[in-house]
Amino acid sequence: MSGAFSFGSYYPGSGPLYRLDPRTKLLGGIAFMVIALAARDFAALGVLAASVVALYLVSGVPAGRAARSVAPLLAIVAVVSVLNLFTGQGGAVLVRLGPLAISEGGVRLFAFTGLRTLLMMCAMSLVTLTTLTLDLTSAVERLLAPLGRFGFPAHEVGMMLGIALRFMPQLAAELQTTYRAQVSRGARAAAGPLGAVRMLSSVSVPLFASIFRHAETLSQAMDARCYHGEQGRTRMHPLRFGARDAVAAALLVALAVAVVLAGLLP
Amino acid sequence: MIVLDDVSYSYDGRTPALDGVSLRIPDGEFLCILGGNGSGKSTLAKHLNALLVPDAGTVLVDGIDTSDPEYVYDVRARVGYVFQNPDDQLVATLVADDVAFGPENLGLDPALIGERCEESLDEVGLTGFGRREAHALSGGQKQRVAIAGVLAMHPEVLVLDEASSMLDPRGRAGLMRVCRELHGQGMTVVMITHDMEEAALADRVAVLHRGRIALEGAPLDVLPRASELAHLNLAVPHACRLSLALAERGVAVGPEVDEGALVDRLAQMAAHPAAGAGTGAGEGAGARPDAVDLDPAVPRSQRDPGGAPAPGPRSDDGAPAPGCADPAAGDAPCLRFDHVSYSYERSVRERARRRRLPRRGRRAAWGSDPDAVWALHNVDLAVRPGELLGLAGHTGSGKSTLIQHMNGLVHPTMGRVAAFGADLAGRRAAADVKTRVGLVLQYPEHQLFAQTVSEDVAFGPRNLGLPADEVGARVRAALDRVGLSVDELGDRSPFTLSGGQQRRVALAGVLAMRPEVLVLDEPTAGLDPAAHRAMLDLVARLHAQGLTVIMASHDMDDLAELCDRVAVLNEGSVLRLGSPAEVFSDGEALRRVGLGLPSAQRIACALARRGVPVRTDALHDIDGLADELAPILKGGAR
Repeated sequence: MSGAFSFGSYYPGSGPLYRLDPRTKLLGGIAFMVIALAARDFAALGVLAASVVALYLVSGVPAGRAARSVAPLLAIVAVVSVLNLFTGQGGAVLVRLGPLAISEGGVRLFAFTGLRTLLMMCAMSLVTLTTLTLDLTSAVERLLAPLGRFGFPAHEVGMMLGIALRFMPQLAAELQTTYRAQVSRGARAAAGPLGAVRMLSSVSVPLFASIFRHAETLSQAMDARCYHGEQGRTRMHPLRFGARDAVAAALLVALAVAVVLAGLLP
Repeated sequence: MIVLDDVSYSYDGRTPALDGVSLRIPDGEFLCILGGNGSGKSTLAKHLNALLVPDAGTVLVDGIDTSDPEYVYDVRARVGYVFQNPDDQLVATLVADDVAFGPENLGLDPALIGERCEESLDEVGLTGFGRREAHALSGGQKQRVAIAGVLAMHPEVLVLDEASSMLDPRGRAGLMRVCRELHGQGMTVVMITHDMEEAALADRVAVLHRGRIALEGAPLDVLPRASELAHLNLAVPHACRLSLALAERGVAVGPEVDEGALVDRLAQMAAHPAAGAGTGAGEGAGARPDAVDLDPAVPRSQRDPGGAPAPGPRSDDGAPAPGCADPAAGDAPCLRFDHVSYSYERSVRERARRRRLPRRGRRAAWGSDPDAVWALHNVDLAVRPGELLGLAGHTGSGKSTLIQHMNGLVHPTMGRVAAFGADLAGRRAAADVKTRVGLVLQYPEHQLFAQTVSEDVAFGPRNLGLPADEVGARVRAALDRVGLSVDELGDRSPFTLSGGQQRRVALAGVLAMRPEVLVLDEPTAGLDPAAHRAMLDLVARLHAQGLTVIMASHDMDDLAELCDRVAVLNEGSVLRLGSPAEVFSDGEALRRVGLGLPSAQRIACALARRGVPVRTDALHDIDGLADELAPILKGGAR
């Protein structure tokens, strides 16, 4: 059912962030990460944090929803920052655990990288919260389009990404049904190696059969609706950079400058 | 105008799927192509828009030969195609993007695409659904999105390839309504189906059998041919069965395939028994407006009592039908639900948050409500040993969730499920119950996986750790019980069998566990009338052999025919529970939750509303209704 699996964290809304070209958002998200990586001290991070908060306020995504979409990524934040806790050196040693030592520098680095990674995650998560996965795939497709000159199938890649995303929740639901059906027939993963193999094949074979079935009908359904590749195809919402995107780019440049300036402050 | 001339086609070059089919489909026609599973009807449909091109013969669409690769997209733009499975044909995540897919492929101007997109969503009754995610819609809604996607290409012909077969009654009704409206606006509609009630509504029907057209003509000419249709794995529409049953009893009604028309005819005959021969001319003329006057008055008086249906059996204290709510009767229940509630949302806080959402936003216009808090809500139910309990309810009413509680696959969020006296919350009990309660999920053939039929059926017994000879014996016995022979099919790959056989193999796989209770989730879904009948007979036979059976179904006729008791679910709660006679006495309540009545009951109620003195408080089947109607129509009642 819908609760079993939800891919992508799109939150339906209509703020200014939603109206940006997805390419701008994707590139903007990447630019934000670069800026964040360039930040050297807490003052710069303060500027970034303020801008993230401001962006979330503008987006209109409720705090709870935002937190839930970032939550799964916190593991990465934790791993990265804990690594830094031990590798960071300098200052007085606070705790010593055998060969490991935690110094003041380590704590500072721990907090710094932790916060920085968290901000980066928040920013990227905002991109996926305000952009449909489908729009993101078409952004990827368009950004890769220049590579088409060298024979790179940009349109096909975009189409494939879109279809993969579209079928993800469905296959997850089917997998669950199959799993439950086999469990009803007494299958147990914990029944020794032979049982485990039987269990695995009893679930995976139907899944693959179903994927092929879907693929066959879907390709016919696309044929029936006159799909014939990129040639002569138009878009209901053609991607077009507008004034809004220019403003967004300008704001990002301003943010970068602010981060650098914050670093120069005493 | 589509013209098929002597079309033959074979998938493998040996066995023909189509064998010399000639057919003309004039503009504006509503054509139904009927046929059993494997009769070649989908193959035929795919020739109409050049998804397949004939091996021999020609298909002309508006004069364009579909085998000419240059014009293939002209053909496909003219002939829109809707597939059977709503989940297989939507390309995009968002409804609007999916509808736009076709026009985008045609290279239309973006502004025009937007316009067409909205227009076609309006036409299928999904105004404002553009920004919804397709996978969260109900099956019926998805099919209408698929139709909208086709309409946005402005086709002249709409082909529906068993488009309703995976839908619940409400979804089907919505789909049929859309098709009728489009046809009314001049669209040519070609409907591939094995649902005889849908066929009755067409202008013309063509029946396929083994790749040939076996029968062709107006529904009134073709559909009453009971014995011929039975040969073609089809059945006769309900209205037709009644008119044939009446004819057997000496009432010359003449064949009628449309239920409304039949009710009109019978009501008139009842008002003028013996065709008005005995009444004087003046009297007859007087009686006529009288009957017409009565007409609108009766429904109103029926409607007024609203919640309390007037002459129901509840007020009729005759004899409470056997098996109605009487918990003291019989043995201890083999399955017992005590105040069971289930929510996909595990956390209490999230449930509370959803409850607080504004009421308006929480109601979906159709189908299940994606924001509903409870998939099951406070369900109390006891399944008695040896009974056949039916579960009715539209998609999303909680049937499947309820079923998955029965062998401990899913545990209730609140409340308690007990099987054979043991609470399924216990790990041990949940493991044990899987051998005693066999669960057959929807489309169980999709779970077949092994190299051979025997291997697949043996999966369950092997998981029980039984010795090889015992496993072999069980496989043989289980296949035997579903009417398949291990010697004949045991070594074949299950994937090479027909759909109906695959389903039987999957059922055998569960029976091989030797369950005491068999739970079936829509065992007849997608089967043609012959396979449908065979599956019902199989269920009845298993029940007669002593199995307790629980069967979820969308088909009220099946439930009325087979079940000892029926439970009607709505929005996760038990709306009605009782004998079929009790449950189906309240047509209004069932209609409100998107379900219908069994056909005989429906006709009886419609006749009663028209003033024909038929009992509505007892459960009718077609023959019983014919028995009761015959004397009235012959004039014996006056």
